[in-house]
Amino acid sequence: MSGAVLDRPPMTSPKPEAPVADLVTFEERLPQEWKWSRRLAGCVLALGLVYAWFGLKPLWHTDVWGHLNYGRWIVSHGTLPATEPTMPLAQGVPFVDPYWLCQVLGYWTIQGLGVAGIQGVSSLMITTMGALLLHRCWQRTRSMGFAYLGLAAFLWLDWSTLAIVRPQLAGLLCFCVLLHRMTSPRATTIDWVLVPATHLVWANMHGSFVLGLALQGAFVAGRALDLLRRTGALRSVWHDHFVRRWLLWLQLSAVATLVNPYGIGLYLEVWRVSGNPNLASLTEWQTLDIRATHGLVFVASVVALAMLYRFTPRRIASWEVLTLVGLALASLWSARFLSWWAPVAAVLGTVHLHASLRRWCPWQAMPAPSPRSGKWTVVTLGLMWIFLGYSPLGMRLIHGKDAVLEKSVSEYTPLGAVEYLRESPPEGLVFNVFEFGDYLQWAGPPGIRVFVNSHAHLVPREVWLHYLQVIEQTAGWEEVFDRYGVNTVMVDTKYREPLIRRMKDNAAWKIGYQDSRAVVFVRKASI
Amino acid sequence: MRRNVSIEAVLIVQVVFLVGVVTSLVTAGPSLRGRLEREFTGRPVLPVVPIPRETPLTIEPLYDDPEVVSDEELAAVLKKVQPRFPKSQLKPNFVEHALRTWWLKAEFQDPDVMSGQALKDYLVDHGKYLASWGNDVEPLLMDRPEGVAIRWGKETGASVHHDHWLASLTEAGVGLHEPVFTPSRQDMTIYNVLQEALRDFRVDEVETEWSALAFGLWLPPTKSWQSNNGRELSFDILAQRLMRGDKKLGVCSGTHRVYSLMVLIRLDDEYHILSPEIRTAAYSHLERVRDLISESQFPDGHWASNWADGKVSVEKPISDEAFKHVIATGHHLEWLAIAPTDLHPPREVILKAADWVIRTTTEQTQSQILERYTFFSHVGNALSLWRKTHPADFWKKWEAEHPYDPEAPVSALDVR
Repeated sequence: MSGAVLDRPPMTSPKPEAPVADLVTFEERLPQEWKWSRRLAGCVLALGLVYAWFGLKPLWHTDVWGHLNYGRWIVSHGTLPATEPTMPLAQGVPFVDPYWLCQVLGYWTIQGLGVAGIQGVSSLMITTMGALLLHRCWQRTRSMGFAYLGLAAFLWLDWSTLAIVRPQLAGLLCFCVLLHRMTSPRATTIDWVLVPATHLVWANMHGSFVLGLALQGAFVAGRALDLLRRTGALRSVWHDHFVRRWLLWLQLSAVATLVNPYGIGLYLEVWRVSGNPNLASLTEWQTLDIRATHGLVFVASVVALAMLYRFTPRRIASWEVLTLVGLALASLWSARFLSWWAPVAAVLGTVHLHASLRRWCPWQAMPAPSPRSGKWTVVTLGLMWIFLGYSPLGMRLIHGKDAVLEKSVSEYTPLGAVEYLRESPPEGLVFNVFEFGDYLQWAGPPGIRVFVNSHAHLVPREVWLHYLQVIEQTAGWEEVFDRYGVNTVMVDTKYREPLIRRMKDNAAWKIGYQDSRAVVFVRKASI
Repeated sequence: MRRNVSIEAVLIVQVVFLVGVVTSLVTAGPSLRGRLEREFTGRPVLPVVPIPRETPLTIEPLYDDPEVVSDEELAAVLKKVQPRFPKSQLKPNFVEHALRTWWLKAEFQDPDVMSGQALKDYLVDHGKYLASWGNDVEPLLMDRPEGVAIRWGKETGASVHHDHWLASLTEAGVGLHEPVFTPSRQDMTIYNVLQEALRDFRVDEVETEWSALAFGLWLPPTKSWQSNNGRELSFDILAQRLMRGDKKLGVCSGTHRVYSLMVLIRLDDEYHILSPEIRTAAYSHLERVRDLISESQFPDGHWASNWADGKVSVEKPISDEAFKHVIATGHHLEWLAIAPTDLHPPREVILKAADWVIRTTTEQTQSQILERYTFFSHVGNALSLWRKTHPADFWKKWEAEHPYDPEAPVSALDVR
């Protein structure tokens, strides 16, 4: 017998294939409350786009800088000023500051997080407003499509307001919170605290808190009217759950607004500011010009709403009519009220559009449930991360990267001119265009004495008239500079070309600095 | 099923609401309550400023310098600026200037010259004004809800400058309780005029020189007060307002601003009505004025209306009317008389200015003086201050030694 006997290799069974991950099994392990819906992911996407858009928007060259300047003053002095503290020509003018809380928070934000912080916080406020209105529109229509439409309508109607960062955004946010709660089908115990608390904060942030009280008043009056029309009995009004609740909320809110540094004096100030003659020179305080873009948008929205209300199958609550008519009339009287017209018009327009369209094209009564799964949780969180992480604020918080100032401010911000003034501090009073006053005070040389800033209601009447005399170049305008001891003049190139030409022709002045945004004239022989 | 809000909750909220509103009203300060009242009732807010004295303060001159003006020269000038006015259509502005120069105590042997009392009576009594002007012009004294306003401006029979009436009576030493007879009231006093002036004063109005002067002589040690639009005013603000703008601007080529500023500094010496920073700024401002008038004096001693241009004023003279030289020179001598020496230009500048103004004044005929009385009155006052006296006191002494001669002409010039 020959040949070695080789051990046979041991028999091995073929390796089984690695099992494919069973996503169904994976999802089932996630707690239910963490399984978010596709609808939510869609909302986050939409709101994230809103956040990203406004987060990247450059800061406007007026308002915000003035408020930050006041915030700086309040923080450094540890008290609210009793008289105007920053404009030398307004010395002694009593100063009631309804925006103080915004100013202080804004100052802390910019100190801690830079310009990106301001951009981030303002865009978060706008996003929150959008979220509240999106939620309410969805809740009333059960249609995400119409909810997005409502959000878009709000953004379109209020575009010019949302583009400018200032305490009015905080006022608008409070208004949206209130509108959300008032239109909620079911109030909670928390609302008894939330509604007055919103007014308390509102009254310390912006003078528009009176509109919140007016809105609540419209709800009460509207509900009472509806009941009276339906029952004819006053008793039914008193016993109505909604009337009682809303009336008590109104009273608690009114008391909450008194919790401010000025008490009831704040109401007086809001009243007086609205009647200040200086503000008549400012576009947004003038009667609405329906030929301007914002006027056309307003008219379009009024026409659209009128048609919707004509054809809607939904019962029209009186509060809707009271609120819409009230805000529309207010907007015609002063363009500034367009800001508060927008959210109401957007929500009500969406709701009635949905009802009207369903009447003609009925679709499924209830929307299909939106699938919930861990996948959508990941998508939602991922979207949040992307939008927040790559925003200027996110860059600042996560990467410590400061926003570039030139890209973070509007193209009209006089960066170069202010830098020139910092290097060559002006002697005496600086005559500046109204639009530059705020930034000059914030970023200009310490102690700069500006002629006016955006708080026109604090400028003494004669001073304001002299300001207009220069800007409009009416008779004797050059003597204003002599009268006030102005040795430096700073004007914008965008709208003041005629004034710039005449200043160039004046032998007493020379150009100290000039760029595409601003010109600085300096008197040859200082007085 | 919805649970209705209980009655207890309703009551609790009513209590909270009432307590909140009442607390807010109670804790509101008086000025806020006043403003609330004004907004709801339409009645004006009339803040009252406490006046701590019954007679106004005076700014005493500092120097008795016969080299600047001798007794004879002073007498000659004062004789020119005696208030010898026509009775009909008597200009309040003339009377005011005469009163502030001659004071209440002025008395003259010449019956054609109005005494201090007569000057004062004309200004505070509508009846006397009416006798001079008749019914064809508006009254000088105007009734207000709680005060008296003075009609001022370029209109016929008006006071010309804002608060000049008040400042003139104040400088003349007229007391707070001096009666003021308006067209419809007999119970008003200087106090009511002063309160009205305090209320309606606006920092940014065209003329603030005399308001600052009047307030300065009445209010210290009070440093701040409120106007009727709620603005908090102070002597700091007034001083800054007087310093504001080109020095050439302001009434009388900007010289009244300088005088009023000097008065505020003198008041600050005793009553500390200015903050240290503003006092320093005001002092620096006057130092600059000193330097400018040192450079801008003409060889014959006068200053022109563009004195604030410094040496350019002399190198490139403008065509000024002669009376404007009197204005500038007389007014500068006036404030220098109450200023400390470190604010003086070199002595020869003062001497030359005094020589010029004495010569120029005594060379005028009486009708020429009358035509420009207000400017020449400042000359008389300025020169008296340089002798540490007042025109009324000096003239009384002079007339005792040189009695009035009704046969003699007012001046040799008028004989010619």
